[in-house]
Amino acid sequence: MELKKKQGPDLSLLWKVFGGALFAYLFLGFMVVPCLNTLTSIFTTRDAAGRMDPLAVLRFFAAGNMPSFVVNSLKLAVCLVITVNVVGVSIVLLTEYFDIKGAKILRMGYMTTLIYSGVALVTGYQFLYDKDGMLTSWLVQMFPMMNKQWFTGFNAVLFTMTFACTSNHALFLRNAIRGIDYNTVEAARNLGAKPFKVLFRVVMPTLLPTLFSLTVMTFITGLCAMSAPTLLGYNSINPEIVRLAGSSAADEAFPQARAALLSVILAVFTIVLLTVLNHYERKGHYLSVSKTKAKLVKQKIQNPVYNALAHVYAYVLFLIYMTPVVMIVVFSFQNWPAIRAKSLKLTDWTLVNYFGTRDYEYTTSRGKLKLRKGVISGVFSNADTVGGIRLSFVLSAIAAALACVIVVVAVNYIFKHRNRKRAAAVEACLLFPWLLPTILICYSFRTFFNGEVWYVLGKNLYYRENVRFLIIMAYTVVKLPFALRMVKAAFYAIDDELEDAARNLGASPLVTFLRVKLPIVLPSVLAVFALNFNALFTEYDMSATFHSSYGKSYAMVIQSMTAEEGRDGYNMNGSGRRCASTVFIMVISGLILYLVYGVGARDLGERLEHRKRRRARLAKLKGFFTGKSAA
Amino acid sequence: MIQLKDIVVRFGDFEALHNINVHVKEGEFFTFLGPSGCGKTTTLRTITGFIEPASGSVFMRGEDITRVPIEKRSIGIVFQSYALFPTMTVRDNIAFGLKIKKLKKPEIDEKVNTIARKVDLSGDQLAKAVSQLSGGQQQRVAIARALVTEPAIICMDEPLSNLDAKLRVQLRNELKNMQREFGITTIYVTHDQEEALTLSDRIAVFNKGYIEQTGTPNEIYNHSKTEFVANFIGDINPLGEGVVKGLGLDPRRHHFIRLERVRVNQPQADGVFCADGVIESREYYGLYIKYSIGVAGQTLKVIEKNDGINIYEAGQSVGVGIHPDDVMSYDAQ
Repeated sequence: MELKKKQGPDLSLLWKVFGGALFAYLFLGFMVVPCLNTLTSIFTTRDAAGRMDPLAVLRFFAAGNMPSFVVNSLKLAVCLVITVNVVGVSIVLLTEYFDIKGAKILRMGYMTTLIYSGVALVTGYQFLYDKDGMLTSWLVQMFPMMNKQWFTGFNAVLFTMTFACTSNHALFLRNAIRGIDYNTVEAARNLGAKPFKVLFRVVMPTLLPTLFSLTVMTFITGLCAMSAPTLLGYNSINPEIVRLAGSSAADEAFPQARAALLSVILAVFTIVLLTVLNHYERKGHYLSVSKTKAKLVKQKIQNPVYNALAHVYAYVLFLIYMTPVVMIVVFSFQNWPAIRAKSLKLTDWTLVNYFGTRDYEYTTSRGKLKLRKGVISGVFSNADTVGGIRLSFVLSAIAAALACVIVVVAVNYIFKHRNRKRAAAVEACLLFPWLLPTILICYSFRTFFNGEVWYVLGKNLYYRENVRFLIIMAYTVVKLPFALRMVKAAFYAIDDELEDAARNLGASPLVTFLRVKLPIVLPSVLAVFALNFNALFTEYDMSATFHSSYGKSYAMVIQSMTAEEGRDGYNMNGSGRRCASTVFIMVISGLILYLVYGVGARDLGERLEHRKRRRARLAKLKGFFTGKSAA
Repeated sequence: MIQLKDIVVRFGDFEALHNINVHVKEGEFFTFLGPSGCGKTTTLRTITGFIEPASGSVFMRGEDITRVPIEKRSIGIVFQSYALFPTMTVRDNIAFGLKIKKLKKPEIDEKVNTIARKVDLSGDQLAKAVSQLSGGQQQRVAIARALVTEPAIICMDEPLSNLDAKLRVQLRNELKNMQREFGITTIYVTHDQEEALTLSDRIAVFNKGYIEQTGTPNEIYNHSKTEFVANFIGDINPLGEGVVKGLGLDPRRHHFIRLERVRVNQPQADGVFCADGVIESREYYGLYIKYSIGVAGQTLKVIEKNDGINIYEAGQSVGVGIHPDDVMSYDAQ
């Protein structure tokens, strides 16, 4: 029974040194150094004579039109906070607090932007509302004086982002309202408060902390908006950074330094807002002190006029949410002439927007009939689209997996060394990207690695195929904070005694990790992987920053589909493919959300029960066909 | 079987165990009893190897195992939370230790089936997830998992603490029967004195990192060596000046009497101190009745068997008797 010490070098120490060095390399090399480079680039500009002029950009900022981008972003952020809170609060009250008929269907409609977001949503809205959009065309037919270009600029961005942001907003607010103890509502009523008094004096105050957090997050979203301003034409910070990043000193004054300055301004706003949020959240939320909490009972609006108005408002919102979804699904099965004419023809159903190709016949300006073979193509038959899907699929999957692996290993380390400074340091490093806007990280990557960098073997990572590696690294870095928060929460569920039990039964630390701890956190890890993959698959902001012929992701392909469909065969069937792409993204997102929150939420017992029921059903089916009854 | 010699455990500057000496005999059901934070779990974790003592030694069958790794100590553990692996079936949980030992599959199956039969787990239950079992069944799985590797002793850390009162009593009996059947040396940790008294062959009562007394349940209850043990085990009346004087006891010492030893309306006997008392209140428990009686300037708590006849009302006068042999006396600390 004597403890026998192993002979030879201590491998665990070697692993620790290697792991520590690798972590430091990744943190410094792919987070700190590129961002510091961006910061310093602001103060290292040179004038026309080649002299260093540290304050040149700041002077330019003060004198030129740069502040207008900041003002525009702030304007968008402030307005978005108002509209998202109004719509978000009202849809939660309509579906969770007031007794509105058809609340379940309404809730489903309001949540559609969970599976239909980002570039897909913006291009979807364009399909309906832009100058050639279907709804705009119908409206112009009815009101010929109407401005066809109404859906551009600030109003369009605000409209689109309001509905894009409310699903997440409502999701958190719904949890908060469900946490209210109904006895407090009853107590207020019993003390003589009228229903709306109860709402504003009892219910709403308990939602305030959640609303404050959501307001800050919405403000940051508005400030960092990218796809909607780019596609709908609004001069805010992010699109300007991407434009400047692609510009050269020959075209305009120190574009790189200006882009750096704008991204640092964005970072300062983000850091300040997150600090405020963190400070506020530390004060804590209102928690029910009730030992036996009663479930909230929906409140009937007694006044028939108010009740009718609430119903009308609820269903108008429902229509706004559902119309683009329904139209896009329907038109994804319509042929090219029908989509072009914006008229639904019940005889023109087709699958060509998804699969297969068609020829395109057209008359040239000289009146000659020409045929272009196979230029009308579906999502899965168009080489460009398939290439984008494939690239996004691979890059997103690798980055999502990499983020999970890094975080699982790190969190295991953090939990093993709880209450020690090194664990806190590792955690802080992984949360570092949360403080910085995505655009700053991507812009830093693009500029810093667009040259030979010694610690990546002297390679230029923005060059040709190397950009794919750069995209993976950027995707991974940006997704680390979210992965950390989710996986850390999962690790809290591991009882310390499980580890003790495994050790007592003879398992080594590695076996304990692989066979006891990992299976417990695996559903959460897979959920993080799936959610990150889902977000990255159609991600626009980073794709736009790294956009090149070697890094054309699916989001960029979708963006290119919005270009005008030319008569001579250019971008043929772009609208049809765009509709089909949106449906494809909705299916993928829906499937992932089902797998994460439906299947993934089941524990082993529930899975065994499901398996048992499935086998019983199969046996019954088999019995039905073979004529034998299943036992 | 297991011997702890001068064990000292420190957590930083805090000394959790001070010179602990225990000797657990082969086949014995030995309980570490004490309030929260007294050092009983720390002692158990020192035996199992999760804590390395600052000084002192742990011996198993005469062999020093103080520095032997956990997995080589041949000690089975049933944890407070049972620590069943939630992602494995019952069978996989039980087989875990055998798989780690790299036994062949047929051998693993045979051992798992044998132990499952012994702890009364059916084949159906073996295929279930642990979350699908009741609290009692989960406890059996935890015991089976601890026993299947054939350890020399088994350690249990408050395995009944998470259960409701009724199930706790039921499983307590099952636990004792299983221990008798397997004949395995068992070290049991609990803060529940009733559990300790009903299950144990011997008990060590812990307080603030020391062992106050080691003995059989009868020795611990009826012959508590220290004031702490007397107070911790069962309910007790401190005797006031009037009674102490009446009994002729040394007033510089502390004197106590257990509730059931106070005699109410019983015939006078030699040497028994008698006094008139008044019933102040009554608590009805069904099997017995607890009275608070004002006597000789103090209130005594008294337990009387509920015979359905001698039931006293508040305000009623009664005769109270105390025999000097029933009084437990300790030096003032």
